Amino acid sequence: MGLAVAPNPHHTLGALYGKILRTLNKMPESAAYRKYTEQIVRERAAVLQQTKDTYELESKINCGQAEELIIQAENELNLARKMLTWKPWEPLVAKPPKGQWDWPPAKA
Amino acid sequence: MQRVATKTDEAAPQVETRPTVAKVDPLQKSQLVEFGKYVAECLPKYVQKVQLTAGNELEILIPSEGVIPILQFLKDHHNAQFASLADIAGMDVPSRPNRFEIIYNLLSLRYNARIRVKTYTDELTPVDSACDVFKAANWYEREIWDMYGVFFANHPDLRRILTDYGFEGHPFRKDFPLSGYVEVRYDDEQKRVVVEPLELAQEFRRFELSAPWEQFPNFRGNPAAEEVTDATDVKKDQ
Repeated sequence: MGLAVAPNPHHTLGALYGKILRTLNKMPESAAYRKYTEQIVRERAAVLQQTKDTYELESKINCGQAEELIIQAENELNLARKMLTWKPWEPLVAKPPKGQWDWPPAKA
Repeated sequence: MQRVATKTDEAAPQVETRPTVAKVDPLQKSQLVEFGKYVAECLPKYVQKVQLTAGNELEILIPSEGVIPILQFLKDHHNAQFASLADIAGMDVPSRPNRFEIIYNLLSLRYNARIRVKTYTDELTPVDSACDVFKAANWYEREIWDMYGVFFANHPDLRRILTDYGFEGHPFRKDFPLSGYVEVRYDDEQKRVVVEPLELAQEFRRFELSAPWEQFPNFRGNPAAEEVTDATDVKKDQ
């Protein structure tokens, strides 16, 4: 049951954070998603550099156990790669038709 | 006891004391507003509007093209982690050009937060299936297909789920008659259950749904939702 214990979380996390940052580098500089994700990942990577002990790492990042951090990093990497095809930093793709989001709706 | 009004008295926020009215948590509210702005900033291509309803329910309003990117972002991003799909709901408003709304309710166990994503479509336009993002979406989307007739593109197994075998029509549509189209009874001569077209006098089929009085006069001028961001407004300014 549960998550299998990661044998060497520092190594796995370091590799994942590096991959995320390299993927983010392909996005335009002005993209808000790139800016915020880089900030998060850099922060976590910095903590990773400073700590040797897994417990210390977990308590400093404060977002769950090391195995959960690995899952989060894998998800983010997956998302960042998909973002490259979606390009969400572009302008709004479709405007809502008039009255679409009005509530209560206009009388028929 | 004499009481003198001071500046601090006036500035103090009003504390809700009525037991039947929901209390507003200003910290939670500001966090929700901030997160709504964050999502709108990260994905400007897909977010049309962000609003708060009922004081503490964050809603993201998107076009149907953005279903997969928005849900994937909310599920996988470090600051969101809405890993649990609580429900998908449908809504039918026949007076709108896109009459159906599809509503996704998500839960983040990590941050103890909920969020709602709303999109719209009409009878013919398919919406991308969220099955690739959330496995749980499979049956919810089948329910919506069954009840409203909204087609989900790339759904692995889009069949009826709630209605009876051989049922025709989509019962939650507003133009579906309350009594249905057929009735089922046991026929003693044929010794089996038969399905027959409904025989109902026409005057009983006219359903006047709007009441002659106004139900909530106190809420006449109150918009149901507070706006957080509106991408379409920004366009007008430019």
